[in-house]
Amino acid sequence: MSSPVIDITDLSKYYGKTRGIENINLRIDEGEIFGFIGPNGAGKSTTIRILMNLIFPTGGSARIMGMDVIRDTKKIKMQVGYIPSDASAYSSMSVHEFLSYCIRFYEVHNGEQRISELSELFELDLNRQITDLSLGNRKKVSIIQSLLHSPKLLILDEPTTGLDPLMQSVFFELLRSENKKGMTIFFSSHILGEVQMFCKRVAIIKGGKIIKIEDIDNLRKKQLKKVSVEFRDHMITESFGIQSVENVIAGPGNTLSFMYSGNINELINFMSGKKIINLMIEEPSLDEIFLHYYKN
Amino acid sequence: MNRNLFLKEIRRNVFSLTIWMIVITLLIVVTMSFYRTFMENQSKVVGMLSLIPKGALQFKGISNFNDLLSVLGFYSANNVIYMMVLGSIFSIVLSSNILLKEEYDKTAEYLLTRPITRSEIFFSKLSVLFTNVFLLNIVTALAGFICMELVMKGPFSIRAFIILSLYTLLLNILFGSIGLFISTLIKRAKPITTFSIGLVLIFYFIFTLSKITEGAAKIGFISPFRFANVDATNPAYTINIWHLAYFIGISLILTGLSYRIYKRKDIYT
Repeated sequence: MSSPVIDITDLSKYYGKTRGIENINLRIDEGEIFGFIGPNGAGKSTTIRILMNLIFPTGGSARIMGMDVIRDTKKIKMQVGYIPSDASAYSSMSVHEFLSYCIRFYEVHNGEQRISELSELFELDLNRQITDLSLGNRKKVSIIQSLLHSPKLLILDEPTTGLDPLMQSVFFELLRSENKKGMTIFFSSHILGEVQMFCKRVAIIKGGKIIKIEDIDNLRKKQLKKVSVEFRDHMITESFGIQSVENVIAGPGNTLSFMYSGNINELINFMSGKKIINLMIEEPSLDEIFLHYYKN
Repeated sequence: MNRNLFLKEIRRNVFSLTIWMIVITLLIVVTMSFYRTFMENQSKVVGMLSLIPKGALQFKGISNFNDLLSVLGFYSANNVIYMMVLGSIFSIVLSSNILLKEEYDKTAEYLLTRPITRSEIFFSKLSVLFTNVFLLNIVTALAGFICMELVMKGPFSIRAFIILSLYTLLLNILFGSIGLFISTLIKRAKPITTFSIGLVLIFYFIFTLSKITEGAAKIGFISPFRFANVDATNPAYTINIWHLAYFIGISLILTGLSYRIYKRKDIYT
Protein backbone atom coordinates (compact mmCIF):
# COMPACT_ATOMS: atom_id res chain seq x y z
CA MET A 1 0.00 0.00 0.00
CA SER A 2 1.42 3.41 -0.97
CA SER A 3 2.00 6.02 1.71
CA PRO A 4 -0.72 8.66 1.90
CA VAL A 5 -0.19 12.12 0.43
CA ILE A 6 -1.75 13.69 3.51
CA ASP A 7 -1.55 11.87 6.81
CA ILE A 8 -3.01 13.65 9.83
CA THR A 9 -2.85 11.99 13.25
CA ASP A 10 -4.67 13.27 16.36
CA LEU A 11 -4.19 16.83 15.21
CA SER A 12 -5.43 19.49 17.64
CA LYS A 13 -5.26 23.24 17.79
CA TYR A 14 -6.43 25.42 20.64
CA TYR A 15 -6.44 29.20 20.63
CA GLY A 16 -5.86 29.71 24.32
CA LYS A 17 -8.81 27.85 25.82
CA THR A 18 -10.86 28.09 22.64
CA ARG A 19 -11.06 24.96 20.52
CA GLY A 20 -9.92 25.18 16.92
CA ILE A 21 -9.76 21.50 15.99
CA GLU A 22 -9.62 18.41 18.19
CA ASN A 23 -8.01 15.04 17.48
CA ILE A 24 -8.41 15.15 13.72
CA ASN A 25 -7.38 11.99 11.88
CA LEU A 26 -7.31 11.99 8.12
CA ARG A 27 -5.57 10.06 5.38
CA ILE A 28 -5.68 11.09 1.74
CA ASP A 29 -4.18 8.85 -0.89
CA GLU A 30 -2.30 9.76 -4.03
CA GLY A 31 -4.50 10.84 -6.93
CA GLU A 32 -7.61 11.38 -4.78
CA ILE A 33 -9.96 14.33 -5.03
CA PHE A 34 -10.91 14.68 -1.42
CA GLY A 35 -13.59 17.01 -0.12
CA PHE A 36 -13.39 18.68 3.26
CA ILE A 37 -16.73 20.10 4.18
CA GLY A 38 -18.22 21.84 7.14
CA PRO A 39 -19.96 25.05 8.18
CA ASN A 40 -18.04 28.26 8.83
CA GLY A 41 -15.95 28.00 11.97
CA ALA A 42 -15.92 24.19 11.88
CA GLY A 43 -12.13 23.98 11.67
CA LYS A 44 -11.50 23.55 7.94
CA SER A 45 -9.19 26.54 7.57
CA THR A 46 -7.43 25.73 10.84
CA THR A 47 -6.56 22.26 9.53
CA ILE A 48 -5.36 23.66 6.22
CA ARG A 49 -3.34 26.39 7.89
CA ILE A 50 -1.52 23.76 9.94
CA LEU A 51 -0.80 21.77 6.79
CA MET A 52 0.62 24.90 5.19
CA ASN A 53 2.64 25.75 8.33
CA LEU A 54 0.90 29.09 8.79
CA ILE A 55 -0.07 28.08 12.32
CA PHE A 56 1.33 25.48 14.68
CA PRO A 57 -0.63 22.58 16.14
CA THR A 58 -1.20 22.22 19.87
CA GLY A 59 -1.04 18.44 19.57
CA GLY A 60 -0.75 15.59 17.11
CA SER A 61 1.09 15.58 13.83
CA ALA A 62 0.58 16.09 10.12
CA ARG A 63 2.64 14.77 7.26
CA ILE A 64 2.52 15.54 3.57
CA MET A 65 4.14 13.04 1.20
CA GLY A 66 5.74 11.45 4.25
CA MET A 67 7.34 14.71 5.39
CA ASP A 68 6.59 16.60 8.59
CA VAL A 69 4.66 19.82 7.92
CA ILE A 70 6.76 21.81 10.37
CA ARG A 71 10.25 20.41 9.93
CA ASP A 72 10.15 19.81 6.18
CA THR A 73 7.93 22.71 5.20
CA LYS A 74 10.24 24.01 2.45
CA LYS A 75 10.50 20.65 0.70
CA ILE A 76 6.76 20.13 1.01
CA LYS A 77 5.90 23.51 -0.48
CA MET A 78 8.01 22.77 -3.55
CA GLN A 79 5.36 20.18 -4.40
CA VAL A 80 2.21 21.77 -3.03
CA GLY A 81 -0.05 24.44 -4.49
CA TYR A 82 -2.40 26.40 -2.26
CA ILE A 83 -5.40 28.60 -2.93
CA PRO A 84 -6.28 30.63 0.16
CA SER A 85 -9.88 31.52 0.90
CA ASP A 86 -9.08 35.22 0.97
CA ALA A 87 -7.61 36.22 -2.37
CA SER A 88 -5.49 39.20 -1.39
CA ALA A 89 -2.22 39.87 -3.17
CA TYR A 90 0.39 42.59 -3.35
CA SER A 91 -1.69 45.54 -4.44
CA SER A 92 1.25 47.55 -5.76
CA MET A 93 2.09 44.87 -8.34
CA SER A 94 0.60 44.08 -11.71
CA VAL A 95 -0.76 40.57 -12.24
CA HIS A 96 2.30 39.65 -14.29
CA GLU A 97 4.74 41.02 -11.71
CA PHE A 98 3.00 39.04 -8.97
CA LEU A 99 2.94 35.78 -10.90
CA SER A 100 6.58 36.20 -11.96
CA TYR A 101 7.49 36.89 -8.34
CA CYS A 102 5.66 33.71 -7.28
CA ILE A 103 7.27 31.48 -9.87
CA ARG A 104 10.80 32.62 -9.06
CA PHE A 105 10.52 30.70 -5.79
CA TYR A 106 10.43 27.43 -7.74
CA GLU A 107 12.84 25.71 -10.06
CA VAL A 108 10.60 26.10 -13.09
CA HIS A 109 12.09 26.50 -16.56
CA ASN A 110 8.98 27.33 -18.57
CA GLY A 111 7.56 29.84 -16.07
CA GLU A 112 6.57 32.56 -18.53
CA GLN A 113 4.92 30.03 -20.83
CA ARG A 114 2.96 28.60 -17.91
CA ILE A 115 1.82 32.10 -16.87
CA SER A 116 0.63 32.82 -20.43
CA GLU A 117 -1.21 29.49 -20.76
CA LEU A 118 -3.08 29.80 -17.47
CA SER A 119 -3.91 33.48 -17.85
CA GLU A 120 -5.33 32.79 -21.32
CA LEU A 121 -7.40 29.92 -19.98
CA PHE A 122 -8.88 32.15 -17.27
CA GLU A 123 -9.11 35.21 -19.54
CA LEU A 124 -6.99 37.28 -17.18
CA ASP A 125 -5.25 40.48 -18.30
CA LEU A 126 -1.66 40.23 -17.06
CA ASN A 127 -1.02 43.96 -17.34
CA ARG A 128 -3.67 45.06 -14.87
CA GLN A 129 -2.77 46.21 -11.38
CA ILE A 130 -3.91 43.76 -8.71
CA THR A 131 -5.50 46.59 -6.75
CA ASP A 132 -7.85 47.26 -9.71
CA LEU A 133 -9.11 43.67 -9.97
CA SER A 134 -12.55 42.49 -8.96
CA LEU A 135 -12.90 39.69 -6.39
CA GLY A 136 -13.45 37.17 -9.18
CA ASN A 137 -10.31 38.24 -11.04
CA ARG A 138 -8.26 38.23 -7.85
CA LYS A 139 -9.48 34.68 -7.34
CA LYS A 140 -8.25 33.81 -10.82
CA VAL A 141 -4.82 35.20 -9.89
CA SER A 142 -4.91 33.05 -6.78
CA ILE A 143 -5.79 29.94 -8.78
CA ILE A 144 -3.07 30.59 -11.36
CA GLN A 145 -0.33 31.15 -8.78
CA SER A 146 -1.19 27.81 -7.16
CA LEU A 147 -0.75 25.89 -10.42
CA LEU A 148 2.34 27.60 -11.87
CA HIS A 149 4.81 25.01 -10.62
CA SER A 150 2.61 22.00 -11.51
CA PRO A 151 2.27 20.78 -7.91
CA LYS A 152 1.68 17.15 -6.95
CA LEU A 153 -0.82 18.20 -4.28
CA LEU A 154 -3.26 21.08 -4.52
CA ILE A 155 -4.90 22.40 -1.36
CA LEU A 156 -7.96 24.55 -1.96
CA ASP A 157 -9.67 26.59 0.72
CA GLU A 158 -13.08 27.78 -0.54
CA PRO A 159 -11.66 28.21 -4.06
CA THR A 160 -14.81 29.16 -5.95
CA THR A 161 -15.81 32.21 -3.91
CA GLY A 162 -16.20 35.11 -6.34
CA LEU A 163 -15.85 33.02 -9.51
CA ASP A 164 -18.71 33.23 -11.98
CA PRO A 165 -20.33 29.91 -13.05
CA LEU A 166 -18.49 29.91 -16.39
CA MET A 167 -15.11 30.28 -14.73
CA GLN A 168 -16.08 27.72 -12.09
CA SER A 169 -16.64 25.26 -14.90
CA VAL A 170 -13.25 26.13 -16.50
CA PHE A 171 -11.65 25.76 -13.09
CA PHE A 172 -13.18 22.34 -12.35
CA GLU A 173 -12.33 21.12 -15.83
CA LEU A 174 -8.71 22.14 -15.30
CA LEU A 175 -8.62 20.40 -11.93
CA ARG A 176 -10.02 17.20 -13.41
CA SER A 177 -7.40 17.31 -16.14
CA GLU A 178 -4.59 17.89 -13.60
CA ASN A 179 -6.00 15.09 -11.45
CA LYS A 180 -5.84 12.71 -14.42
CA LYS A 181 -2.14 13.57 -14.69
CA GLY A 182 -1.71 12.48 -11.08
CA MET A 183 -2.37 15.56 -8.97
CA THR A 184 -3.98 14.93 -5.59
CA ILE A 185 -6.60 17.52 -4.63
CA PHE A 186 -7.71 18.48 -1.14
CA PHE A 187 -10.83 20.56 -1.56
CA SER A 188 -12.28 22.48 1.35
CA SER A 189 -15.70 24.07 1.00
CA HIS A 190 -18.93 24.80 2.79
CA ILE A 191 -20.94 24.19 -0.37
CA LEU A 192 -22.12 20.59 -0.40
CA GLY A 193 -23.15 20.72 -4.06
CA GLU A 194 -19.68 21.45 -5.45
CA VAL A 195 -18.05 18.87 -3.21
CA GLN A 196 -20.60 16.24 -4.25
CA MET A 197 -20.04 17.11 -7.90
CA PHE A 198 -16.26 17.15 -7.81
CA CYS A 199 -14.93 14.90 -5.06
CA LYS A 200 -14.79 11.14 -4.63
CA ARG A 201 -14.52 11.08 -0.88
CA VAL A 202 -15.44 13.61 1.75
CA ALA A 203 -14.70 14.37 5.37
CA ILE A 204 -17.39 16.24 7.26
CA ILE A 205 -16.08 18.45 10.03
CA LYS A 206 -18.14 20.18 12.67
CA GLY A 207 -17.21 21.79 15.95
CA GLY A 208 -13.54 21.07 15.32
CA LYS A 209 -14.07 17.33 14.96
CA ILE A 210 -14.39 15.10 11.95
CA ILE A 211 -17.77 13.49 12.32
CA LYS A 212 -17.78 11.40 9.17
CA ILE A 213 -15.54 10.35 6.32
CA GLU A 214 -17.67 9.00 3.54
CA ASP A 215 -17.64 8.12 -0.15
CA ILE A 216 -19.56 10.68 -2.16
CA ASP A 217 -21.60 7.85 -3.71
CA ASN A 218 -22.93 6.91 -0.27
CA LEU A 219 -23.75 10.51 0.51
CA ARG A 220 -25.59 10.83 -2.81
CA LYS A 221 -27.70 7.76 -2.04
CA LYS A 222 -29.11 9.58 0.96
CA GLN A 223 -30.35 12.36 -1.29
CA LEU A 224 -31.65 14.49 1.50
CA LYS A 225 -34.04 17.25 0.40
CA LYS A 226 -35.68 20.06 2.24
CA VAL A 227 -39.36 20.29 1.27
CA SER A 228 -41.81 23.06 2.00
CA VAL A 229 -45.48 22.64 0.96
CA GLU A 230 -48.39 25.04 1.28
CA PHE A 231 -51.68 23.09 1.17
CA ARG A 232 -55.04 24.60 0.33
CA ASP A 233 -56.70 22.71 3.19
CA HIS A 234 -55.54 22.24 6.72
CA MET A 235 -53.17 19.29 7.03
CA ILE A 236 -52.29 17.75 10.36
CA THR A 237 -48.74 16.56 10.87
CA GLU A 238 -49.82 13.00 11.76
CA SER A 239 -51.74 12.55 8.49
CA PHE A 240 -48.51 13.00 6.62
CA GLY A 241 -48.20 9.29 6.19
CA ILE A 242 -45.28 8.59 3.85
CA GLN A 243 -41.90 7.04 4.57
CA SER A 244 -38.62 8.95 4.88
CA VAL A 245 -40.19 12.16 6.17
CA GLU A 246 -38.60 13.67 9.24
CA ASN A 247 -38.52 16.87 11.25
CA VAL A 248 -41.99 18.03 10.14
CA ILE A 249 -42.60 21.62 11.19
CA ALA A 250 -45.91 23.44 10.79
CA GLY A 251 -45.47 26.95 9.41
CA PRO A 252 -47.87 29.86 8.94
CA GLY A 253 -51.21 29.05 7.26
CA ASN A 254 -51.30 25.50 5.97
CA THR A 255 -47.57 25.25 5.32
CA LEU A 256 -45.54 22.23 6.36
CA SER A 257 -41.75 21.95 6.10
CA PHE A 258 -39.87 18.67 6.44
CA MET A 259 -36.72 16.79 5.47
CA TYR A 260 -37.17 14.02 2.92
CA SER A 261 -34.61 11.32 2.22
CA GLY A 262 -36.66 8.84 0.16
CA ASN A 263 -37.45 8.38 -3.50
CA ILE A 264 -38.57 11.71 -4.95
CA ASN A 265 -41.19 9.98 -7.18
CA GLU A 266 -42.99 8.64 -4.11
CA LEU A 267 -43.18 12.13 -2.70
CA ILE A 268 -44.58 13.54 -5.95
CA ASN A 269 -47.14 10.73 -6.14
CA PHE A 270 -48.25 11.54 -2.63
CA MET A 271 -48.48 15.25 -3.37
CA SER A 272 -50.47 14.69 -6.57
CA GLY A 273 -53.44 13.57 -4.46
CA LYS A 274 -53.45 16.83 -2.49
CA LYS A 275 -54.56 20.36 -3.30
CA ILE A 276 -51.33 22.34 -3.22
CA ILE A 277 -50.81 26.12 -3.50
CA ASN A 278 -47.03 26.10 -3.43
CA LEU A 279 -44.28 23.48 -3.37
CA MET A 280 -40.59 24.08 -2.85
CA ILE A 281 -37.88 21.38 -2.92
CA GLU A 282 -34.37 22.58 -2.18
CA GLU A 283 -30.91 21.50 -1.04
CA PRO A 284 -30.74 21.56 2.73
CA SER A 285 -28.09 23.66 4.41
CA LEU A 286 -25.10 21.88 5.85
CA ASP A 287 -26.36 22.46 9.35
CA GLU A 288 -29.63 20.78 8.43
CA ILE A 289 -27.77 17.80 7.00
CA PHE A 290 -25.65 17.54 10.09
CA LEU A 291 -28.72 17.75 12.29
CA HIS A 292 -30.45 15.11 10.21
CA TYR A 293 -27.67 12.54 10.00
CA TYR A 294 -25.54 13.17 13.00
CA LYS A 295 -27.76 14.48 15.75
CA ASN A 296 -27.15 11.30 17.67
CA MET B 1 18.39 34.68 2.75
CA ASN B 2 16.11 34.49 -0.27
CA ARG B 3 17.24 36.70 -3.18
CA ASN B 4 13.78 36.87 -4.77
CA LEU B 5 12.15 38.13 -1.59
CA PHE B 6 15.04 40.49 -0.83
CA LEU B 7 14.86 42.17 -4.24
CA LYS B 8 11.07 42.47 -4.09
CA GLU B 9 11.27 44.15 -0.69
CA ILE B 10 14.05 46.48 -1.79
CA ARG B 11 11.95 47.55 -4.78
CA ARG B 12 8.91 48.03 -2.57
CA ASN B 13 10.81 50.37 -0.23
CA VAL B 14 12.87 52.29 -2.73
CA PHE B 15 10.37 55.14 -3.08
CA SER B 16 10.01 55.64 0.66
CA LEU B 17 13.79 55.48 1.15
CA THR B 18 14.36 58.06 -1.57
CA ILE B 19 11.85 60.46 -0.01
CA TRP B 20 13.49 60.14 3.41
CA MET B 21 16.94 60.67 1.90
CA ILE B 22 15.78 63.81 0.08
CA VAL B 23 14.05 65.25 3.14
CA ILE B 24 16.98 64.72 5.50
CA THR B 25 19.53 65.86 2.92
CA LEU B 26 17.53 69.03 2.26
CA LEU B 27 17.35 69.67 5.99
CA ILE B 28 21.13 69.37 6.24
CA VAL B 29 21.73 71.58 3.20
CA VAL B 30 19.37 74.29 4.44
CA THR B 31 20.80 74.26 7.97
CA MET B 32 24.42 74.23 6.85
CA SER B 33 23.77 77.09 4.44
CA PHE B 34 23.27 79.30 7.51
CA TYR B 35 26.74 78.52 8.84
CA ARG B 36 28.55 81.35 7.07
CA THR B 37 25.91 83.90 8.07
CA PHE B 38 26.18 82.55 11.58
CA MET B 39 29.95 83.02 11.58
CA GLU B 40 29.66 86.55 10.23
CA ASN B 41 27.26 87.45 13.05
CA GLN B 42 28.70 85.21 15.73
CA SER B 43 28.88 87.82 18.48
CA LYS B 44 25.16 88.61 18.10
CA VAL B 45 24.17 84.95 17.92
CA VAL B 46 26.28 83.96 20.90
CA GLY B 47 24.75 86.83 22.83
CA MET B 48 21.32 85.57 21.92
CA LEU B 49 22.19 81.98 22.83
CA SER B 50 23.41 83.11 26.25
CA LEU B 51 19.76 83.87 27.08
CA ILE B 52 18.80 80.21 26.54
CA PRO B 53 19.08 77.92 29.60
CA LYS B 54 22.31 75.95 29.55
CA GLY B 55 20.50 72.61 29.76
CA ALA B 56 18.45 73.36 26.67
CA LEU B 57 21.68 73.62 24.69
CA GLN B 58 23.36 70.66 26.34
CA PHE B 59 20.96 68.14 24.91
CA LYS B 60 22.10 69.25 21.50
CA GLY B 61 25.68 68.57 22.50
CA ILE B 62 26.57 72.23 23.09
CA SER B 63 28.51 72.52 26.31
CA ASN B 64 30.20 75.74 25.25
CA PHE B 65 29.01 78.45 22.85
CA ASN B 66 32.37 78.26 21.12
CA ASP B 67 31.41 74.74 20.06
CA LEU B 68 29.02 76.28 17.59
CA LEU B 69 31.78 78.26 15.94
CA SER B 70 33.43 75.16 14.54
CA VAL B 71 31.74 73.64 11.53
CA LEU B 72 31.52 70.22 13.19
CA GLY B 73 29.99 71.74 16.33
CA PHE B 74 27.47 73.61 14.20
CA TYR B 75 26.68 70.46 12.20
CA SER B 76 26.41 68.36 15.34
CA ALA B 77 24.18 70.82 17.19
CA ASN B 78 21.87 71.62 14.31
CA ASN B 79 21.68 68.42 12.29
CA VAL B 80 22.79 65.29 14.04
CA ILE B 81 20.08 65.12 16.67
CA TYR B 82 17.44 65.54 13.99
CA MET B 83 19.19 63.00 11.78
CA MET B 84 19.03 60.67 14.75
CA VAL B 85 15.32 61.31 15.38
CA LEU B 86 14.24 61.21 11.73
CA GLY B 87 16.49 58.26 10.92
CA SER B 88 15.12 56.40 13.93
CA ILE B 89 11.54 57.12 12.83
CA PHE B 90 12.36 55.83 9.34
CA SER B 91 13.98 52.75 10.83
CA ILE B 92 11.23 51.89 13.32
CA VAL B 93 8.43 52.47 10.80
CA LEU B 94 10.16 50.21 8.29
CA SER B 95 11.01 47.50 10.79
CA SER B 96 7.63 47.44 12.50
CA ASN B 97 5.94 46.92 9.14
CA ILE B 98 8.38 44.70 7.31
CA LEU B 99 7.00 41.43 8.70
CA LEU B 100 3.64 42.62 9.97
CA LYS B 101 2.55 44.21 6.69
CA GLU B 102 2.38 40.77 5.09
CA GLU B 103 -0.17 39.83 7.75
CA TYR B 104 -2.46 42.84 7.70
CA ASP B 105 -2.28 43.10 3.91
CA LYS B 106 -3.24 39.41 3.85
CA THR B 107 -0.26 38.52 1.64
CA ALA B 108 1.41 36.33 4.27
CA GLU B 109 -0.59 33.36 2.99
CA TYR B 110 1.16 33.71 -0.35
CA LEU B 111 4.61 34.28 1.07
CA LEU B 112 4.55 31.55 3.71
CA THR B 113 3.18 28.95 1.34
CA ARG B 114 6.15 29.31 -1.02
CA PRO B 115 9.13 26.98 -0.65
CA ILE B 116 10.86 29.25 1.80
CA THR B 117 11.54 28.78 5.51
CA ARG B 118 10.60 31.31 8.15
CA SER B 119 14.31 31.80 8.83
CA GLU B 120 14.86 32.77 5.20
CA ILE B 121 11.92 35.17 5.34
CA PHE B 122 13.16 36.73 8.57
CA PHE B 123 16.76 37.18 7.42
CA SER B 124 15.73 38.43 3.98
CA LYS B 125 13.55 41.08 5.57
CA LEU B 126 16.23 41.89 8.14
CA SER B 127 18.72 42.39 5.31
CA VAL B 128 16.28 44.76 3.63
CA LEU B 129 15.97 46.70 6.88
CA PHE B 130 19.75 46.97 7.32
CA THR B 131 20.29 47.87 3.68
CA ASN B 132 17.75 50.69 3.91
CA VAL B 133 19.11 52.02 7.20
CA PHE B 134 22.71 51.83 5.95
CA LEU B 135 21.87 53.59 2.70
CA LEU B 136 19.96 56.35 4.49
CA ASN B 137 22.85 56.88 6.91
CA ILE B 138 25.53 56.78 4.22
CA VAL B 139 23.72 59.24 1.94
CA THR B 140 22.82 61.69 4.71
CA ALA B 141 26.28 61.49 6.31
CA LEU B 142 27.82 62.09 2.89
CA ALA B 143 25.50 65.07 2.40
CA GLY B 144 26.60 66.41 5.79
CA PHE B 145 30.26 65.88 4.95
CA ILE B 146 29.98 67.64 1.59
CA CYS B 147 28.07 70.54 3.14
CA MET B 148 30.73 70.95 5.84
CA GLU B 149 33.48 70.85 3.22
CA LEU B 150 31.70 73.58 1.28
CA VAL B 151 31.01 75.97 4.15
CA MET B 152 33.91 75.27 6.57
CA LYS B 153 36.24 77.96 7.76
CA GLY B 154 38.94 75.70 9.08
CA PRO B 155 39.63 72.00 9.38
CA PHE B 156 37.38 69.62 11.29
CA SER B 157 38.02 66.21 12.74
CA ILE B 158 37.00 63.49 10.31
CA ARG B 159 37.39 60.97 13.11
CA ALA B 160 34.83 62.85 15.23
CA PHE B 161 32.54 63.09 12.21
CA ILE B 162 32.76 59.33 11.68
CA ILE B 163 32.00 58.67 15.36
CA LEU B 164 28.98 61.00 15.16
CA SER B 165 27.76 59.14 12.08
CA LEU B 166 28.37 55.80 13.74
CA TYR B 167 26.28 56.81 16.76
CA THR B 168 23.48 57.86 14.41
CA LEU B 169 23.66 54.52 12.62
CA LEU B 170 23.72 52.53 15.87
CA LEU B 171 20.73 54.44 17.21
CA ASN B 172 18.79 53.86 13.98
CA ILE B 173 19.60 50.13 14.08
CA LEU B 174 18.53 49.93 17.72
CA PHE B 175 15.16 51.50 16.91
CA GLY B 176 14.92 49.13 13.95
CA SER B 177 15.30 46.17 16.28
CA ILE B 178 12.73 47.66 18.69
CA GLY B 179 10.21 47.98 15.83
CA LEU B 180 10.89 44.45 14.67
CA PHE B 181 10.47 43.06 18.18
CA ILE B 182 7.18 44.88 18.81
CA SER B 183 5.78 43.73 15.46
CA THR B 184 6.41 40.08 16.30
CA LEU B 185 4.48 40.49 19.54
CA ILE B 186 1.32 41.63 17.74
CA LYS B 187 -1.02 38.66 17.51
CA ARG B 188 -3.82 40.02 15.35
CA ALA B 189 -2.08 42.05 12.69
CA LYS B 190 -2.78 45.74 12.43
CA PRO B 191 -0.56 48.67 11.45
CA ILE B 192 1.53 50.01 14.33
CA THR B 193 3.14 52.93 12.50
CA THR B 194 1.66 55.62 14.75
CA PHE B 195 2.67 53.73 17.86
CA SER B 196 6.21 53.26 16.52
CA ILE B 197 6.67 56.94 15.69
CA GLY B 198 5.24 57.83 19.08
CA LEU B 199 7.77 55.57 20.77
CA VAL B 200 10.73 57.35 19.14
CA LEU B 201 9.30 60.74 20.06
CA ILE B 202 8.64 59.66 23.64
CA PHE B 203 12.23 58.45 24.01
CA TYR B 204 13.45 61.70 22.53
CA PHE B 205 11.22 63.67 24.87
CA ILE B 206 12.53 61.71 27.88
CA PHE B 207 16.09 62.38 26.76
CA THR B 208 15.40 66.11 26.31
CA LEU B 209 13.67 66.31 29.68
CA SER B 210 16.58 64.62 31.40
CA LYS B 211 18.99 67.11 29.88
CA ILE B 212 17.12 70.30 30.70
CA THR B 213 15.78 69.28 34.12
CA GLU B 214 18.41 68.60 36.73
CA GLY B 215 16.10 66.47 38.87
CA ALA B 216 15.21 64.26 35.91
CA ALA B 217 18.76 63.41 34.84
CA LYS B 218 18.43 59.75 35.76
CA ILE B 219 15.34 59.03 33.70
CA GLY B 220 17.40 59.86 30.64
CA PHE B 221 18.96 56.41 30.90
CA ILE B 222 15.65 54.90 29.78
CA SER B 223 16.14 56.57 26.43
CA PRO B 224 18.54 55.19 23.79
CA PHE B 225 19.25 58.81 22.78
CA ARG B 226 21.10 59.20 26.07
CA PHE B 227 23.79 56.78 24.87
CA ALA B 228 24.46 58.53 21.58
CA ASN B 229 27.08 61.12 22.42
CA VAL B 230 26.93 64.12 20.07
CA ASP B 231 29.53 66.29 21.84
CA ALA B 232 31.81 66.05 18.82
CA THR B 233 33.87 69.19 19.52
CA ASN B 234 35.10 67.82 22.82
CA PRO B 235 38.84 67.04 22.30
CA ALA B 236 38.34 63.77 24.22
CA TYR B 237 35.40 62.79 22.01
CA THR B 238 35.53 59.10 21.28
CA ILE B 239 33.24 56.14 21.06
CA ASN B 240 32.33 54.89 24.48
CA ILE B 241 32.87 51.15 24.57
CA TRP B 242 29.98 50.64 27.05
CA HIS B 243 27.63 52.65 24.90
CA LEU B 244 28.76 50.67 21.87
CA ALA B 245 28.09 47.45 23.78
CA TYR B 246 24.68 48.82 24.81
CA PHE B 247 23.64 49.54 21.22
CA ILE B 248 24.96 46.31 19.77
CA GLY B 249 23.80 44.20 22.74
CA ILE B 250 20.23 45.50 22.86
CA SER B 251 19.91 45.33 19.07
CA LEU B 252 21.16 41.74 18.99
CA ILE B 253 18.94 40.65 21.89
CA LEU B 254 15.80 42.21 20.40
CA THR B 255 16.56 40.85 16.92
CA GLY B 256 17.26 37.39 18.36
CA LEU B 257 14.01 37.43 20.35
CA SER B 258 12.10 38.61 17.29
CA TYR B 259 13.55 35.71 15.29
CA ARG B 260 12.58 33.16 17.93
CA ILE B 261 9.04 34.51 18.20
CA TYR B 262 8.55 34.76 14.43
CA LYS B 263 9.73 31.20 13.88
CA ARG B 264 6.90 29.88 16.05
CA LYS B 265 4.30 32.57 15.45
CA ASP B 266 0.82 31.67 14.25
CA ILE B 267 0.16 33.76 11.18
CA TYR B 268 -3.43 34.90 10.70
CA THR B 269 -4.70 37.00 7.84
